[in-house]
Amino acid sequence: MTVLEVSRYRPGIDAEPVFQRYEVPDNDDWAVLDGLNYVKDSVDGTLSFRWSCRMGICGSCGMTVNGEPRLTCGTFLADYDGVVRVEPLHGFPVIRDLVVDIEPFLEKLSSVSPWLIRSGEDPASEFAQTPAQLEAYKQYSMCINCMLCYSACPVYVLDPDFLGPAAIALAQRYNLDSRDEGDRFDVLSTDEGVWGCTFVGECTSACPKHVDPAEAIQRYKLTAAVRSVLPWVRL
Amino acid sequence: MERHEYDVVVIGAGGAGLRAAIEARQQGKRTAIVCKSLFGKAHTVMAEGGAAAAMGNVNSDDNWMVHFRDTMRGGKFLNNWRMAELHAKEAPDRVYELEAWGALFDRTKDGKISQRNFGGHEYPRLAHVGDRTGLEMIRTLQQRVVALQQEDYKVHGDYEAYLKVFSECTVTRLLQDEGGSIAGAFAYWRETGKYICFDAPAVVLATGGIGKSYVVTSNSWEYTGDGHALALLAGAKLINMEFIQFHPTGMVWPPSVRGILVTESVRGDGGVLRNAAGERFMFNYIPDVFKDKYATSEEEADRWYTDQGNNRRPPELLPRDEVARAINAEVKAGRGSPQGGVFLDVSTRLPATEIIKRLPSMHHQFKELADVDITREPMQVGPTCHYVMGGVEVDADSGAASVPGLFAAGEVSGGMHGSNRLGGNSLSDLLVFGRRAGAGAAAYVSGLAARPTAVGIEAAEIEAEAPLGRTGGENPYEVHHELQRTMNDLVGIIRRASEIEEALDAIQKLKERAEHTGAQGSRVYNPGWHLAIDLRNMLLVSECVARAALKRRESRGGHTRDDFPEMSPQWRRRLLVCSLEGAGGIAVEEKIQPDMRPDLLALFERSELTKYLTEEELS
Repeated sequence: MTVLEVSRYRPGIDAEPVFQRYEVPDNDDWAVLDGLNYVKDSVDGTLSFRWSCRMGICGSCGMTVNGEPRLTCGTFLADYDGVVRVEPLHGFPVIRDLVVDIEPFLEKLSSVSPWLIRSGEDPASEFAQTPAQLEAYKQYSMCINCMLCYSACPVYVLDPDFLGPAAIALAQRYNLDSRDEGDRFDVLSTDEGVWGCTFVGECTSACPKHVDPAEAIQRYKLTAAVRSVLPWVRL
Repeated sequence: MERHEYDVVVIGAGGAGLRAAIEARQQGKRTAIVCKSLFGKAHTVMAEGGAAAAMGNVNSDDNWMVHFRDTMRGGKFLNNWRMAELHAKEAPDRVYELEAWGALFDRTKDGKISQRNFGGHEYPRLAHVGDRTGLEMIRTLQQRVVALQQEDYKVHGDYEAYLKVFSECTVTRLLQDEGGSIAGAFAYWRETGKYICFDAPAVVLATGGIGKSYVVTSNSWEYTGDGHALALLAGAKLINMEFIQFHPTGMVWPPSVRGILVTESVRGDGGVLRNAAGERFMFNYIPDVFKDKYATSEEEADRWYTDQGNNRRPPELLPRDEVARAINAEVKAGRGSPQGGVFLDVSTRLPATEIIKRLPSMHHQFKELADVDITREPMQVGPTCHYVMGGVEVDADSGAASVPGLFAAGEVSGGMHGSNRLGGNSLSDLLVFGRRAGAGAAAYVSGLAARPTAVGIEAAEIEAEAPLGRTGGENPYEVHHELQRTMNDLVGIIRRASEIEEALDAIQKLKERAEHTGAQGSRVYNPGWHLAIDLRNMLLVSECVARAALKRRESRGGHTRDDFPEMSPQWRRRLLVCSLEGAGGIAVEEKIQPDMRPDLLALFERSELTKYLTEEELS
């Protein structure tokens, strides 16, 4: 048997989160999520956690597994020796058990105007964009909003107002899009924006989709620095 | 009780729901989006291949008429032809619109939206981005909602003045007025368990499918047939419920990921199916109706990838129902792979770098979940319950159901795909009919003289509360698992009368057991309680599937009867319509499919029509 040590928090009942141990059958191919679903279906129907696709694309099942932010559908029990400790994603208010409040995160995403900003008319059918122009920003569009990068970010954990890795990468996804004419300088070039980042790079290590938000941030720092000296230049 | 007043309530926040809500808001209606899971995590996110739209970017011979023909052929001519027509005509505009809202697509060398090959589509037609098109679509629509909210803030000082999202909120009943018109919806917050009531004269159902009634499915937990059941309970009708698409290529191993989708793009980009003996068996399974359109030798099939003008397509790209049945037959004949599927191989067909570029998510998925490197070895795949063609019977142009004020779009609606959906026709369906249902709901509300008054709120609350009062009741997970096994084994990919009857008996018993399922704990974020409520929906929908499957004595598309293996032109004209009976059972009636408009009929060769239509229709 594998032992899962799961953080439980029932608002109104528990003063603070407590750990509860559950035994789950040994299965080489079980992800942590399978273990949690086993507990929910067969042991304790009240265990609460979010999940959906089981294939690493919806970004719902991010949790802290043995201290690290992970997608639990792609993290295998067999990769751990001994007790596997599952906690909610660090850095976010806990609602119940493994469920956290994601509203502040969604607000950060919205704040960077994540759509094409254009002054002129849209084309009647489609835009022209070459494969090379697409490559310039495509990587940043791989984000699945799983929030692992925030949980891994030492700046965000101390300062919840920090715009954070995913939101800055999202801004860059549009800044570098040849169809976009917008300017996100006022949101990005602030102490809570790119200048808040101390370049630890934990966000990029944690990202399950290789978005590399750390690179997005460093790149915009350069853009912002040039903009401060030469305001008419748009990189 | 928390109570809100809206013009339009959209249930579901996948592609169809978001597109409907955007349309209703753009037409000036105060709109609520109510969804079970988190905003932006809907099932559409899992769609991989792309959105079918005859833009003709890769092959300029493509146009809406070719797309229409392909869609009708894929559905074995049982489709609601008006829906298929609207879909084929409007899909390109919906893709362009999505792009204007920010969506990215893979491009051709000259900077146009690239299009890829897919099963049943005559030309490369799927607008896509790698193999994560659904994610891009959801993200774009989600951000369009946010953009509209920011516009509203500038005008009204309130982001949510005209468009508000209620996420992790499950609707358990549609509310109606004394006369039966839609008057709102009753729901609970998943987080707190508190009840919430929406007063609204129009509801758009966009709840997706029913896959969680089956054990092996590509669908996630949300797919419990909620919209199908809500519509039935409100007095609307479901059509074509016997047609369920088993996607030919789901993962078969390891067990924990059994059923998860392996995108059809693998075959579109050159992947081939082989049995244990290494044979490309699909050549043995080309049905008569498709004989002249598919290659008969490996050489011709392989040439097609580079020269589509002079060669016929590989049989791996037959419509999904054909491929799924072929795989099923190979496994049954003992020619399957070690874990009970067949081999899907792209490793010997494309260089590793190309595989990683074209199919990055698949490469990642197999590496992470099955420890298989698809650039070096074949995958093992088998059929998985993927999509329900059946759904709420709606007016093609407006998405209106028979109940005044009720609309439906996307997978929860029926008709568009006939007996079998082509890959890529789902994402485009969501956009085309999501928009139409949103517009239909907006127009309906504009035409009302007065707002309806909801009755039955108290009864809805009592119903939702019931599982919590049954202390010591049966675990709802047990009932759910048994239903899944029943449907999988007895009303699955191959069906016969005796087994379907057995399933109906089992469903009856499960209905009785479901009456006694209880949930421990309180209403606060209680998944056991949620499932106890969902069971009602899954049982209703499963009964529809089984009853319709028993009645249709032929094989067509996503309905294969061992005891009636032939496709019958007589049956093509008959649609099976499910409705709720007084005692809570399901009644199935036959309805004659309206004749196709002559100008649409004229798009086909007579020799092809003779394969599908009756003598009477042809004369």
